[in-house]
Amino acid sequence: MGSFMKVLKAEMRKQHKNYFFNKSIYITLFIWPLLTFISAYYCYKPFRLDKIVGGLDYVNESNLVVFVLIGYLSLVFFRCFVQSAWRFSMERTFGTLELIYLTPANRLAFIMGNAVSSLFESIWLFVVFASGIFVLNASAYNIDMLSAMLGIILLIVLSILWGMLLNALFLFSRDSSFLFTVLEEPMEIFAGIKVPAAVFPIWAKAISAVFPLTYIAEMLRRIFIKGDGLVQIKGFVLISILIGFAILSITILCLKLGERHAKKTGSMALF
Amino acid sequence: MHCRTLYATFRRNFIIQLRAYPKDFFIGNVLSAIYTAVSAFFMYHLLFNGQMKDSFAGYAGTGDYISYVIIGNCMYLFMVRTLLNVSRSLITELREGTLESLMLAPFRRVQYFLGNMLQQTVTTSGEVAVMLLVCLPFGVRFSGFNGLAALIGLALALVSYFSLSLLLAALMLYTRDTYISQNTLFAILFLICGVTFPVQYLPGPVQWLSQGIPVTISLDIIRNSTLGGMTAAAQIGSYVRIAALSAVYCIAGFLMIKKVESAALEKIFG
Repeated sequence: MGSFMKVLKAEMRKQHKNYFFNKSIYITLFIWPLLTFISAYYCYKPFRLDKIVGGLDYVNESNLVVFVLIGYLSLVFFRCFVQSAWRFSMERTFGTLELIYLTPANRLAFIMGNAVSSLFESIWLFVVFASGIFVLNASAYNIDMLSAMLGIILLIVLSILWGMLLNALFLFSRDSSFLFTVLEEPMEIFAGIKVPAAVFPIWAKAISAVFPLTYIAEMLRRIFIKGDGLVQIKGFVLISILIGFAILSITILCLKLGERHAKKTGSMALF
Repeated sequence: MHCRTLYATFRRNFIIQLRAYPKDFFIGNVLSAIYTAVSAFFMYHLLFNGQMKDSFAGYAGTGDYISYVIIGNCMYLFMVRTLLNVSRSLITELREGTLESLMLAPFRRVQYFLGNMLQQTVTTSGEVAVMLLVCLPFGVRFSGFNGLAALIGLALALVSYFSLSLLLAALMLYTRDTYISQNTLFAILFLICGVTFPVQYLPGPVQWLSQGIPVTISLDIIRNSTLGGMTAAAQIGSYVRIAALSAVYCIAGFLMIKKVESAALEKIFG
């Protein structure tokens, strides 16, 4: 366990030093998501909110901003890991991956450190946004604190696991950057960030079932807007835990297969 | 003989495009077109059952939300491409190591940028055509199409994007950063220029700001000529406005590039 933590800490520190060397990172971390969020909010403006379907009648003009905010906040969490995974693929090009694989460092700790450091990058953002939610939603303070805590913990844990899975997938090939294209935009559409998955046709529902973000976003919306308690959200919690375990097992499998593949072909840095 | 720089740049960029980046951009574009269309389709048909506020038709000049969004995105693609290719041209030369030799040659700046611009317009037109084709099943309809008005509108729109890209080029060359400046600008323009929703929904001061950016006017013109069925004669006012704005941006852009260029060269080779 001690060595696991050591690798985790070292990798986190390395990532932080790599990407926080100047202030411009705050533009990418704060201004861009903010602009995307505001654009998304205004997209609802031409529509008649009182005609919304799919069991979303709890959404109205006054809480629309919170509705969109929760969706985009969860998206930012998950998306920052897609980006971390993309940067992780550079380790291969830079040749650092090869060096790390020569050491006895725990592979899982290594990719976890990578993912967790991204989390810290976005956590301060989360605080800003979250206080925004509370200020805007001050009139309707019927949030169940216990489910709110649970929801946030699940958001953090699942997004880290998602990040680890992506990192592990990027270990397979130098050309896995296409995953980035495939995962970035569809996640926004199919995870029900703008249009909740409840109203999707069946084929789209099948796609959305794959993204853990789908469940997390919907659960957080129910907790923070509808005021659902533990009893109402237990289905989401159960699914999230199951998905979490599934993601973790696939990650470990990918790590093992990836390393074996690299050992066989002997080309860590190139292919 | 007068257009040698233009022709040379045009040809060189085509060669680069065909050999170095074959189909990646193209596939990426078709995918984004599908995502845009799917997203608008879900929003309009599934979430709101086609129920728009009455104000939308008044602001947009059409009640057809899907066509409104998709045409907005097509023009946005034109803008992004122009801004990417023209603004980044000098800094790309700098990165690829060709800026020095370029600067040694007595090349005409205007022709150089126009060559870049023309090349990317040809490519982007192809991409937009594919995009519209892909979006047809989702319900894009040119309900009120006026060919002449649209053609003039598109030409003026491209000129205005060109003028905007000169300003960005100066900024990029000065800061030697492309990533932050371009993406921030794209995000802002997407928000305030009425790409996916009418600007009238934005707060007042932001609306004024957006009226000072030619992109907003270009979107209005294109939509009025393809969806609203307005004739060229009826849009003379908008044509004049966008032309005047572009002229101002153009002059400012060229002056700034001239200034920045020498500073950039000093920084790099000095």
